[in-house]
Amino acid sequence: MSTTEHLAPSGSLPHPARTIASRYAATTAQAQRTDADVVRTRALTKRYGAHMAVNGLDLSVRPGEVYGFLGPNGAGKTTTLRMLVGLIRPTSGEAAVLGAAPGTPEGLAQIGAMIETPAFYPFLSGEDNLRVLARYAGVPVSRIAAVLEQVDLLDRAGDPFKSYSLGMKQRLGVAAALLKDPRLLILDEPTNGLDPAGMAEMRALIRALGQGDRTVLLSSHLMHEIEQISDRVGIVAHGRLVAEGTVDDLRGEDHLLIRVDPAAEDAARGLLTPLDGLRVVIAEPGMLRVEAMTPSGTSASPIDAAAINARLVTNGVPVRELRPERASLESVFFALTGSHLTAGEEVSHV
Amino acid sequence: MSDIARDIVTELSLLVRRMSTWVIVGLWLVLGLFFNYILAYISFRGNRPVGADGRVVSELGGMLPSGVVGTTSSGFAFFGGALVLILAVMTFGNEFNWATWKTLFTQRPGRTRIVMAKLAALATLILPMVLLAFVVNGIASVTIAQIENMPVAWPAASAFIEAIGAGWLILATWAALGVLLAVATRGTGLAIGLGILYALLIEGTLSGFANTISWLKPVVDGLIRANAYSLTQGFGGGTAGGPGLFNGPYVSVAQATAVLLVWLAGCSGLALWLMRRRDVV
Repeated sequence: MSTTEHLAPSGSLPHPARTIASRYAATTAQAQRTDADVVRTRALTKRYGAHMAVNGLDLSVRPGEVYGFLGPNGAGKTTTLRMLVGLIRPTSGEAAVLGAAPGTPEGLAQIGAMIETPAFYPFLSGEDNLRVLARYAGVPVSRIAAVLEQVDLLDRAGDPFKSYSLGMKQRLGVAAALLKDPRLLILDEPTNGLDPAGMAEMRALIRALGQGDRTVLLSSHLMHEIEQISDRVGIVAHGRLVAEGTVDDLRGEDHLLIRVDPAAEDAARGLLTPLDGLRVVIAEPGMLRVEAMTPSGTSASPIDAAAINARLVTNGVPVRELRPERASLESVFFALTGSHLTAGEEVSHV
Repeated sequence: MSDIARDIVTELSLLVRRMSTWVIVGLWLVLGLFFNYILAYISFRGNRPVGADGRVVSELGGMLPSGVVGTTSSGFAFFGGALVLILAVMTFGNEFNWATWKTLFTQRPGRTRIVMAKLAALATLILPMVLLAFVVNGIASVTIAQIENMPVAWPAASAFIEAIGAGWLILATWAALGVLLAVATRGTGLAIGLGILYALLIEGTLSGFANTISWLKPVVDGLIRANAYSLTQGFGGGTAGGPGLFNGPYVSVAQATAVLLVWLAGCSGLALWLMRRRDVV
């Protein structure tokens, strides 16, 4: 099967958004969920009056992975995380965290969480704040120095929390989340407000924390952050999970960009369109994008660039440029979180 | 140490490290001393009433050690109540302002245990507040007795114990109302405003009319201030002046105790129910 189409006009879905959206609109959420999931939600919903903050969310986080929970501001990420730790009650649906209902002592004992802005007593030092939490969590106070060292805050541990910079507050929040040496670490926008160096440090720390058996659920609206840290990604928009998979899976297969003389554009398209399994899109005048497609519309095997080049050249169409192009997570993100998504669309797992 | 005891100690350590706690406790002691002893004594010295035997006695009675129970108790029903209401609002309401509820509630214990620990810590803190008031006022009364060459005669120990118990119950009831207001409004500002409005205007105005409008009496009989004054009037200290003025109607000590316990349990229970039920955002 092959198809040819031009770019969507301004104001409608840009390419490759349409391609990506259709590629992901295939499978259903339940198929890949298992009882071993560290976090599992089914049709999780939170409504505030007429506003649907989380809309039938099916989420699965597997043991030992760093799961990136990606979505624009207001997509429902923090509301979801709050439901997972029992801070807010879902309107409907189910959730299980480490096999326990959210907010129960047995579940909370295994979870470390930093939800939104780190919140501590301003009149206490960082160390004393952790001491309060350690007593409530039932962990030995000897853990305090260990976690402060882990986040590189030991030398300022005795200073009042109110004197901390934003980065130090974030690090103290992570330290508090680590106090219980949790099996599941939930971090909500942990790099918010950090300078570039601080963000890099925080990402390195999260990567280190995600080593071994610990599971990390990381929420962010920063695509490159998720891309760098996460093993798997869930993209949420308008309270719905619109895609879930590894970063590579979400980005899909390489496309091929071919620049030809604009006068030869139609000829080139005519030569490539009959080829089975290819879709040809005119990206801009003189530039063709060739995508490999299966009959169902999902991505297929890599494109044979050499064969395409040979077919064009031997048929008298000079090729000025030929290069592979891969969809960035950003383009996937915009494609899936755009306004084209409606309540009826299904989650895609790749 | 049990988990519950450890939680209460944790919350007490938080309370004593808050500046607002010391400001309120300091105000409670200093203002009580100022109005009950310093101002009263200055007034007394400016207009010394002389008895039939030629000795200065009558208005000095409340400032002497023999009157310390009544004088100290008179401050619980309104003045002390307003201060502990603010203390309670600050204790619970600031957890909303600082967003620290979410940090606490994501630790191991459930919400009930954490809220109960805070309530217990607050109730525990009120006891030394009551005791300190008696100690400070006792010292002031002895000082005045020595200045005036009057005998130092203390009330019976049982009177002290009863007054301490009554004082704790009255202050704990006002504190519970403060907790409820802080939880209901999720903060401090509105809760303090509503609490003072209620204590000053609503209870005061209703009490003022209750002696002339008969159908208001049953309503006033159920209010905190009427029952608090009913509990302390037996100690002989009278009522506060100004906005805390109360001229009855009074109820029996048993009824006052019961009504205050209902307020205490009701406000605490409702606050706990709200904390358990509501979303923490």
